[in-house]
Amino acid sequence: MSQRAPADGPIPAKAGIGLRFQHHQAVLDLEPDVAWMEVHTENYMGGGTPLRYLEAIRRDFPISLHGVGLSLGSAEGLDAAHIERIREVAHRINPAQMSEHVAWSSVGGTYLADLLPLPMTEEALDVVCRHVDQVQSCLKRKILVENPSTYVSFRHSTIPEWEFMTAVAMRTGCGILCDVNNIYVSAHNHGWNPLVYLAALPPDAIGEIHLAGHSVRPLADGRVLRLDDHASRVAAEVWALYRHALARFGPVPTLIEWDNDVPPLDVLLGEAAQASAFLAEFEPRHETTRVEHPRETKLTEEAGHATAA
Amino acid sequence: MPQLLELQRAMRASMVERSDGAIAAMLAEHTGPERLSIYRNTFVVGVTKALGLTYPVVRRLVGNDFFDGAAGLFIADHAPRAAWLDNYGAEFPEFLRSFQPAATLAYLPDVARLEWVVSRALHAADRESLDLKRLEALTPDEQARVCFVPHPSVALQRTDYPADAIWRGVLNGDDAALATIDVDSGPAWLLIERRASGVEVSRLDEAAWRFVAALCAGTPLELAFAEIREAQTYVLLAEQLTAGRFVDFKLAPSGETNRNAALTEQSPGDGPAVIMTQQRG
Repeated sequence: MSQRAPADGPIPAKAGIGLRFQHHQAVLDLEPDVAWMEVHTENYMGGGTPLRYLEAIRRDFPISLHGVGLSLGSAEGLDAAHIERIREVAHRINPAQMSEHVAWSSVGGTYLADLLPLPMTEEALDVVCRHVDQVQSCLKRKILVENPSTYVSFRHSTIPEWEFMTAVAMRTGCGILCDVNNIYVSAHNHGWNPLVYLAALPPDAIGEIHLAGHSVRPLADGRVLRLDDHASRVAAEVWALYRHALARFGPVPTLIEWDNDVPPLDVLLGEAAQASAFLAEFEPRHETTRVEHPRETKLTEEAGHATAA
Repeated sequence: MPQLLELQRAMRASMVERSDGAIAAMLAEHTGPERLSIYRNTFVVGVTKALGLTYPVVRRLVGNDFFDGAAGLFIADHAPRAAWLDNYGAEFPEFLRSFQPAATLAYLPDVARLEWVVSRALHAADRESLDLKRLEALTPDEQARVCFVPHPSVALQRTDYPADAIWRGVLNGDDAALATIDVDSGPAWLLIERRASGVEVSRLDEAAWRFVAALCAGTPLELAFAEIREAQTYVLLAEQLTAGRFVDFKLAPSGETNRNAALTEQSPGDGPAVIMTQQRG
């Protein structure tokens, strides 16, 4: 059965793949049997060839813009110029969905080029919520925010991460991009129960699932760290956790991410087919319960709030 | 309890300045400081990779290990300022100029300067070329006062070494071409632009380069013609127009066609019009 979905429709509750430059031409030539694609917004800023490819691919597939540089958790505020660049990409591509991370990357005018862990505190929660509000107002749309993978945590954290994620969604009306691999990696690294994490997330807020490969590294202190390196196939344990997620959330748009040692397109499509097989096992939840455009009035009122340079 | 900003500054100190003390004191017991090196490594490797994508020819000229070492030192002093890494590394050519271990490759900073401009051209905003009918509709007096706005990808660069020939030879892996290059052949005047097929680097003679540079800097047409007499200016102007190197124009105020007045009209947001790189002393 074809997985293809209308290019001008929403991201369907099917499997998609992360599109990387290596596969631009192959996707145009082969029009693979996959329901949707997601790209990193930062790779399409400015103009030139990448945007031209993405515009062409956009004619055939629903596209999700997944940002990695907005730094929603920065204590010092968001970079207005970066929001504007994101808005320009969105204007060109008209994405079906946009997302970012519960993480931070910038401080003191330095971009640290990574999704860094936040302390789970009331202060950090306020900062993230304020910034999600600002971004949703500026983009005039709901976004999804992704749970992080972390290697360290902080002694002054007071809120379990799953409660933090839920609070962000409840307070701002944003959706949650549930990265099942990140839950598995962080749960292992910090001794949490990943099933407790899944059970605490509000099903109606889940707009997308991410799956990716991770690696294992022994540390000098005798512990074993799981590294979210997006450089391999999805681990068996993560597939198992994914089925738990589908049992709780129902079928949700699911993305295969692969960013390092990117394999041939066929390998990505194989992983997406595996996700499709699991998706087919689960009944759809009532679509009407999913909140598509919360707080529309407020978003309109606040439009332009974040654009003042 | 540390404030969020305090924690983020401490993390920056760990990642950029390799100073772990402050952030290590904030870590939960099960997450030892060894894990901080993972974040530091991800930062340096990721930014080095971005720099290598902007400077692929420099990387090949000096070799991967040398490049990674130089990049590490550069990043420590010039960490990225924005989450747009395609636009990162403007200071790398000047860093290389003062980088003693690379001193034997005198042409290296010029090649790096060219790669930076090529990278800017690759990522420059898309703009439609100027509709020439708009020029035809002007009166002769108005035409004299035309100040062109160049396409955001167009740049002009003067180099002391044949940076273009080295750049092309290395990119194409053309050892035969590289073997014939005389690095002391004197300065070259380059035009860099993005065409449909990719970024092109071409050589102009000095007079033509100065004329095109004047037009790209928004000099009123009449003044550009008057200042640069030795070039085939009308032919050159036609070439620029048919190549689509301009996207718009403004009219200098009547009777005030002096260069300074015209230049102050340009807003800095108009993009990288002309990169008049410094002449080496």
